[in-house]
Amino acid sequence: MTDTLHATDNFMPEQRRGSAVMRLALSNELGLAVLIAIAFGAFAITLPGFTSPFSLFTIGRQIGIDTMIGLAMMAVIVTGGLDLSVGAIGVCAAMVFGFLAQKMGIPLPLAAPGAILFGAVLGFINGYTVVRSGVHSFIITLASMSIFFGVMIFLTQAQSFNELPASVQALGKLRVGGMVSVLLLITLAVCAALSIFYRYTVLGRQMLAAGANPRAAELSGIRTGRVIISCHMLTGALAAFAGLMLTARTGAAVPSMAGHLGQDWLLPAFLAPVLGGTLLSGGRVSVVGTLLGATFVTIMTSGLLLMRVGEFWILACLGLMLLLAVLADRFRQQVLRARGMI
Amino acid sequence: MALSFTRIFDNDWVGPGLVSLAAIIGISIFQPSFLSPFNIFVLLSAISVNMVIALGQLVIIAIGQMNLALGAFGGLVAICFVAIMELYGVPPILATVIGLAIGALAGGLTGFVIARTGISAFIITLAGLQIFKGINLGITEAQPFYGVPQSVKDFGNLSMLGPIPWLVLPMIIASLGMWYLFARLRIGRYILAIGGNRTAAELSGINVTATIIWAHAISGLLAAIAGMMLVARLQIGQPTIGDDWLISSFAAPVIGGAVLAGGHVSVAGTFFGVVIIAIITQALVLFAIDPFVVQIVLGGLILWAVGINRLRELRVAKFNARTA
Repeated sequence: MTDTLHATDNFMPEQRRGSAVMRLALSNELGLAVLIAIAFGAFAITLPGFTSPFSLFTIGRQIGIDTMIGLAMMAVIVTGGLDLSVGAIGVCAAMVFGFLAQKMGIPLPLAAPGAILFGAVLGFINGYTVVRSGVHSFIITLASMSIFFGVMIFLTQAQSFNELPASVQALGKLRVGGMVSVLLLITLAVCAALSIFYRYTVLGRQMLAAGANPRAAELSGIRTGRVIISCHMLTGALAAFAGLMLTARTGAAVPSMAGHLGQDWLLPAFLAPVLGGTLLSGGRVSVVGTLLGATFVTIMTSGLLLMRVGEFWILACLGLMLLLAVLADRFRQQVLRARGMI
Repeated sequence: MALSFTRIFDNDWVGPGLVSLAAIIGISIFQPSFLSPFNIFVLLSAISVNMVIALGQLVIIAIGQMNLALGAFGGLVAICFVAIMELYGVPPILATVIGLAIGALAGGLTGFVIARTGISAFIITLAGLQIFKGINLGITEAQPFYGVPQSVKDFGNLSMLGPIPWLVLPMIIASLGMWYLFARLRIGRYILAIGGNRTAAELSGINVTATIIWAHAISGLLAAIAGMMLVARLQIGQPTIGDDWLISSFAAPVIGGAVLAGGHVSVAGTFFGVVIIAIITQALVLFAIDPFVVQIVLGGLILWAVGINRLRELRVAKFNARTA
């Protein structure tokens, strides 16, 4: 029963009851935007240097990277699954990029798409295994994160590629108008493309339908297996993209850039979409919400760092933030249900 | 005859047990030093710690959830255990009790949030992982505590009898305790019932909230034991304790035939899962194979075990369909 209602929620929003204003007021996006404005205002007033061009540039760059990581996870959460291997895929793709650009001397315009394609291939391996085995993506990607990372460390012998062409690092340092990172602009472009993709393309709509109610989608002629595999491929490609952006920031492809097995990406990967209102049960995405979620997290982290809160305590704060985000989401759904809006 | 033969193989622990035996025989033929008393001692120490870790995940798998925060619990308890002994001179026995209490409390708290909100255990334990790891690093600033008393060091590094380390003791107690829990105790039956079919369990009057809290508290308790065992073995309070528990804590129960959807677990199977992982890790060292390969092998083992479990499920389904 809830499943059917849930599916209509995505495709026929005009049938929902309740005023548009009320819906907007209870949406994640508006709430987040207000929180961002408050946090940014408070830090800007109390912390000198928070709004300096360089500070804004680094914050923007971080937002760009964290949003991309969040989008990568969002693309697979749509199916009601998840991908623990995003970090491993991101690092693997970055290392492939390093190998192509540094060792093989392949020009960057070819090496970068090659690395992203490689990420999509790793995503395909995940998706194919999940669909064919029928085992939950948690355990499959737990295994594949270990395998991808293990193979990468074995092949690279944990050595980084740090003699990349100078233009890679230059891209990471490039500013538009003195304070806007090019990486942020790239992410915004990807956000726009993804919004169009989920809203107007057949495959994008199929992904949402298959996530909301796989049986209904199957019955209406969608080949859910293929759609789920393409979700995993999209996740792989976006994770690879994030890996490349991180490479541009550091100017080198480093095997440890996402921590042991790529685990360090897990929190930003889930935090941004969950804050932004993507349902973990699948079927609903919010690209703008993910962008706002990553923005909020980055502003809080930068502000707390400037306030000299130890970086380790910030880790604990981020965990707490994830907890509060899901609790708030639960509360919001209860309110909406009580008012008959879902 | 044929039927009883199949019956034996339907036991979860038989397959992994045979694989362990074959691996031990195979490796000791190529490398006789594998069965030297020293090597057995090292192997048993590793198996003891990893078994307790795997049991911590097993109880959560049984109820149909997952615990990403297991390693964070273990690491936090390990740090607190050494910190109170070093800074306040608390005797080891009392410190152990406090450590166990912290673990059970952290687990129980996580379970409480999961049970009361109904939010997926994955996301709550991911938040828990970050919070407890953050507290750990915030306390230690990533520096180890060195003040481990000699008695604790001895417990982790001396032998009880021949090649059998003292560390085996907590492992045996924990394993028997968990076996007893699932086979005889009401709470264990409740955990399996909820894992098998939550709605049915709820309708038959089981207090789901309390059971989930219990399961997570037990998981936290086991993580605490494993964390303190590692302190004894490593002889220092490392803040990194628990960082690498995630993969192996899932691999061993899955190799031991646990159904990830919940409701079906095997303590004996998990033990042989731990043994297989320990043997393979050791063999890679003995044959001087790149240690990085361990990660690949662990991931491969999970996939292999998941595949085997899946085949067995299908076979059972077919068998039931024929007899029905």
